[in-house]
Amino acid sequence: MEAALSGLAALADPGLLLLVLAATVGGVVIGALPGLNATTGAALLLPFTLTMEPIAAIAVLTTIYCSATFAGAITAILINTPGTSASAATCLDGYPMAQRGEAGRALGMAAVSSTIGGILSVVCLMLAAPLLARAAYNFAPPEYFALTLFGLSMLASIGDGSPLKNLMSGAFGILLATVGIDLLTDVERFTFGMPELTTGIGFVPVMIGIFGISELLIQANSLGDLRERISVKTIRLPSLADYRKTWKTIARSSGIGTFIGILPAEGATVASMIGYNEAKRWSRTPEEFGKGAIEGIAGSEAANNSATGGAMVPTLALGIPGSPTAAVILAGLMVHGLRPGPAMFTQQAEFAFAIFWSMMLVNVLFFGIGLAGAKVFARVSLIPTRVLWPCVFVFSVIGAYALDQSMLDVWIALAAGVIGFFMRRYGFSVVPLAIGLILGDMLETRLGQSMVMLDEKWWLLFTRPLALFFFALTALALFGPLIWKIAARLAVRRKNAGR
Amino acid sequence: MSTVTEIARRYWLPAVIAAFCAAVFWAANYFERVPPILKRGIQPSDFPQLVSCLIIFLSLLLALGKEQPKPKPLSREFLLSLALMVGFIVVATIDLFLALGAFAASLSALWGERRVAALLGVGLALPVGAFLLFDQVFRIRFPRGLLTSIWYG
Repeated sequence: MEAALSGLAALADPGLLLLVLAATVGGVVIGALPGLNATTGAALLLPFTLTMEPIAAIAVLTTIYCSATFAGAITAILINTPGTSASAATCLDGYPMAQRGEAGRALGMAAVSSTIGGILSVVCLMLAAPLLARAAYNFAPPEYFALTLFGLSMLASIGDGSPLKNLMSGAFGILLATVGIDLLTDVERFTFGMPELTTGIGFVPVMIGIFGISELLIQANSLGDLRERISVKTIRLPSLADYRKTWKTIARSSGIGTFIGILPAEGATVASMIGYNEAKRWSRTPEEFGKGAIEGIAGSEAANNSATGGAMVPTLALGIPGSPTAAVILAGLMVHGLRPGPAMFTQQAEFAFAIFWSMMLVNVLFFGIGLAGAKVFARVSLIPTRVLWPCVFVFSVIGAYALDQSMLDVWIALAAGVIGFFMRRYGFSVVPLAIGLILGDMLETRLGQSMVMLDEKWWLLFTRPLALFFFALTALALFGPLIWKIAARLAVRRKNAGR
Repeated sequence: MSTVTEIARRYWLPAVIAAFCAAVFWAANYFERVPPILKRGIQPSDFPQLVSCLIIFLSLLLALGKEQPKPKPLSREFLLSLALMVGFIVVATIDLFLALGAFAASLSALWGERRVAALLGVGLALPVGAFLLFDQVFRIRFPRGLLTSIWYG
């Protein structure tokens, strides 16, 4: 309780509040711009936070995360182009509503459900993260190794790639993490005689490259795609009848989103899809979905915003990113010399709670800013790509350089951008690569420590109940969908044979 | 299409990935080995080799799986944008901000921007503004070049 109050007091600094307000506006603008999303925005803004105090820096990044996730709905509703992939499901009903002149009502519902979902998930974060951290105090290296492996196995089901390609991408990220001096033995690996590489490949340039520069190249390859924009005359809050119709959907999707956010690596995109599907499944009028059902917007938006709070639970309590943007925030924490994990809730509890309160604040702020400025932000979404992306490139290059003031980082960002483009072109999501890069070091260190602890008898890893539990979850994450598919096929065959 | 071309089209991607990982595996053989007392559980080469083997195995699964859809052809704008990026790398050796300005304006023009004010904005005002912001506010020192040396003196 004391830590919660200290965290609130730390946030009461007027300068910090102003910064959070500015970041909220910035996040809404980023989210409203097609092609830019919370992850890219956070990666691009990470270098700007280097000179800030850790609380301010992480508050800015989490604010960008929450507000950009909400703002994706603006373009989803008005121009049928989700500002972020997490708002893809919002297009399905938001755009038809806008087409029939109800853009304001759709935006209003998106703002209300996002705010409710976001606040509920932050409450959950405040309660769950310290509990999870307390539980994690009992973890020894084998348990951490198994948990990290579980986090990586969850990569199979994220993003836009196939499970196999996601795993390959994640493994490639882990391989990249082995560049530099091995922390366990002090031996140089893959440095090719370059002193800059002894500390490893930096997270920041790689993230700027794979999220920012690769997107620029994707935009270059799809120039000329036309977008129709619907004007929004008035923004009005949803009516009482709308609330009566959607409150159960908002509550359900908030729960779903928070839970999915807590799962390692699973973020707002998966949450919004499941939230939308569940809203349709439980609706009395499922036939209206896809034609402008307000429940569809509530289901998708409450879920994607609640996933933000959920995603911060494993990020802060265990150091395992709960979503792609959380991976960037984790990188930000590391850049500032902070190591997320159980100790954060005892040694830096004030810091953790300041972050929670800032997330709570931003959920209230974007409600007002999003509604009041939706017309302006909708216009922002129409900034021509021919002006926007050269600007993104300039900030990407300077951002990549700024952290270590090294031109090698600029070249790494450019190379990562080109590799990221070709990965995406051939169906490999870049998100697992980022998460693999962050977790690779942890995975190897924990494995080495486990081997020391278990006297190099690796099979003893499977004799520890908690580690075994995480290994079982890993197997379920990897093979569960396959087993499910085979079981379903067998059931169909048995049914056909019975006829 | 001949069978050879078809096989090449189908298997080139997993083959390239597997070859890259085989090269990584081979390169890891040359890492210094530490005596058992210092190795702290695993040798420095063990983990990268383990991950390389995993990727090779996954590449095999990818090759055995269903054929991947053919991606959309690369556009002229994309290829020219990539060429501009190469140009950026060359010019950046002379001056980073000169390269940024030239790249931003050229990219904008390539993508269809014709308004002089907009081109000046992205090619001149933006790099200068970004430089001043990072130099004055964030105290970042940029590499000396043709233009930055004028500022640094």
